[in-house]
Amino acid sequence: MYTPSYYEFVNPGKILSGKYALENIASEFRLLGASSALVLSDKVLNDLGQVKVLCDALTSGGLSVASIFTDIPSDSSIEVVNSIASIYRSSGADSIVALGGGSVIDTAKGVRMLISQGGDDIMKFVGAEVLPRAVQIPFAAVPTTSGTGSEATAVAVIKDNARKVKMEFISQFLLPDLAVLDERFTLSMPKRITAMTGLDALTHAIESYSCLQKNPISQSYARSAILLIHENLEKCISTPGDRKARLALANGSLLAGSAFSNSMVGIVHAIGHSLGGVCGLPHGLAMAILLPHCMRFNLDKCADDYEDILSFLIAPEDFVATKKGDRAMRCVEEVSSFTSNVASRSGLSLRLGENNVSRQDFDEVAKRAINDGAMIVNPKAVGFRDVLDILNSAL
Amino acid sequence: MSNVSAIRRFSLALKAIVAKIVLFVLYRAIKVLAHEDSRIMSEFDSWRNGLTVVLETGNGGPSITLMKRGRKLVRCHHVDDADIRITFRSLDAAFLVLTGQMGVARAYAEHRFMLSGDISQTMSIVRCIDIAESYLFPRLMTRRILRKVENKEFSTLRVYRKIFVGV
Repeated sequence: MYTPSYYEFVNPGKILSGKYALENIASEFRLLGASSALVLSDKVLNDLGQVKVLCDALTSGGLSVASIFTDIPSDSSIEVVNSIASIYRSSGADSIVALGGGSVIDTAKGVRMLISQGGDDIMKFVGAEVLPRAVQIPFAAVPTTSGTGSEATAVAVIKDNARKVKMEFISQFLLPDLAVLDERFTLSMPKRITAMTGLDALTHAIESYSCLQKNPISQSYARSAILLIHENLEKCISTPGDRKARLALANGSLLAGSAFSNSMVGIVHAIGHSLGGVCGLPHGLAMAILLPHCMRFNLDKCADDYEDILSFLIAPEDFVATKKGDRAMRCVEEVSSFTSNVASRSGLSLRLGENNVSRQDFDEVAKRAINDGAMIVNPKAVGFRDVLDILNSAL
Repeated sequence: MSNVSAIRRFSLALKAIVAKIVLFVLYRAIKVLAHEDSRIMSEFDSWRNGLTVVLETGNGGPSITLMKRGRKLVRCHHVDDADIRITFRSLDAAFLVLTGQMGVARAYAEHRFMLSGDISQTMSIVRCIDIAESYLFPRLMTRRILRKVENKEFSTLRVYRKIFVGV
C-alpha cells in the first residue's frame, strides 16, 4: 500500500449507523450541550413526511425543534444560506439538523459556518483551509441518498447565483459532529436516484483511491466503500426494500465521502461539475457516464491503483488468472460493465447525447472543467483538448 | 523566536532570503511570459483587470503582492482584501515549492498552503506557475515535480535575460 512522504487525514464526526440511529440524535446533542435545533430539509422530503419522522424522533428524545426550513433548492445558493442564518439567529436555536441530499447538507454546513464565524455573508469564507475554529454549533447530518457522502466531508459547494458559479468551501470545521445513517430514509428512493447516487459514491471511492493525496487511511476507506457499493448497489435497485443492502450502501457512501474528503477527487468530478453547470446534467449521472472514460485517460498514471481496485471487483482466482499487464485495463472494463448494468436496470442512458448534452456545449464545458478545483489533484495533467476528447468519446 | 535554536534560526533566515529571491524571480518570469508565451498570455488575458494575488511564505516569511493592471502584472506593497491569498503553512513548505523540490499540485494535495478566494480562479494562476517553472527550473527537476512538463516556446536563457536585464 502506498504511503506518501506526507499526508493529513481528518476523520469524520461520530457515526450513528442503523436501527433507531435517528432516535439517538437527541441524546448525542445533549452531550454536546444543545437543547433546541433548527431543522433543514427540502420540500420533497417534507411532502413525503420524512421531516415529520425526524422531528418526532428529536422531540420524543427531549430536543426541541426551534424552527423548520424546507425551501432548500436542489442547487444550494449563497442567498439561501444567508437567509437561513438569519432564521437561525431569530429562532433561538442552538444546533442544526440537516435531513436531505448533498444540497441540504452543504447548505447546513454553510449556515453553521456563517453562524459560527459571525457575519452575514458566507462569501468572506471562500477558499481552502482558511477558517479558524470558532463558536461550536452542534450539527447532525442525516443523508437521505447514498451518494454525496457530504455527511463525512470537509467540503461544501454552494452556488453564487450572481456569477453563476459554484463556490467551494474547504475546512475541517465544516464536518458535521454526527453523521446519521438510518435506512428508513433511503427505502423509498426511486431506482434512478439510487443508481445515480450510488455511482456517484463509487466514483468518489475510485477517484480517491488513485488521486494525488491518496494515503493508507483514505485508501482503506475507499476499498471498503468499493466493496460495499459493488455488493449492494444492484441489490438496492432490484429490491428497493432490502434494508440491509440500503444500510450497507449508505455506509459505502459515507466511507467514500470521507476518503475523497481527504484525498480529493479528480478529472471525473471536474468535468462532471462543468456538465452540471453548463448542461444541467444531474451530478450522479455525469459521474456514471464519465467514470470509465476518465479511468481510461488516467490509465498510464494509475495502473497500480486500478490493479488493486480490480482485486476488489472480481473473484481471487479470476484476478490471478488475469495477466499482470492486463489488470489495470480489465479494471476499467469491469467498472464500465458495472456502471452499464446498473444503468440498464434503472433505465439510465450512459451516452451524453441521449441526456440533452450536445457537441456545441463541449467548448464551454471543457473551459470550465480545466478551472475546476478537482483538476489540480488529478494524477495526470489535463488540458482543454483532453477534456474535449473525453467528452467526444462519451457522446 | 527567543527559544528557537541558533541552527533553526539560521536555517529559517537562509530560507527566507532564498524565498524572497525566488518570489521576485517568479513574479518577473510571469510578467515576462505574459507577453512572450502564448499559453500564459491567454491565461493572463482571462484574469479580470485589478485582480490581486498575494503569495505568503508563512509566519514572518517574505511575501509578494501582485496585481493585474491593464496588460501588465505589477507588484504592490500591500493589499488588505486580496482576491486570492495563498499562504504557505510554514516557510519550510514554501521553500520546498519555491526551490523546485515540490510542484504546486503536490503542495495543494499535501495541504502545504491555505487558500483564501475563488479556487477556480486560482487554477489559472497555478497553470501559469507550472509553465513558468518549466522555464525556470532544469528539466531534470520539472520532470519530477510537474505532472506534465510543458514545451518551451523559447529558450530559458531568453527568459532569464528578460527577468534580470529586461531586454
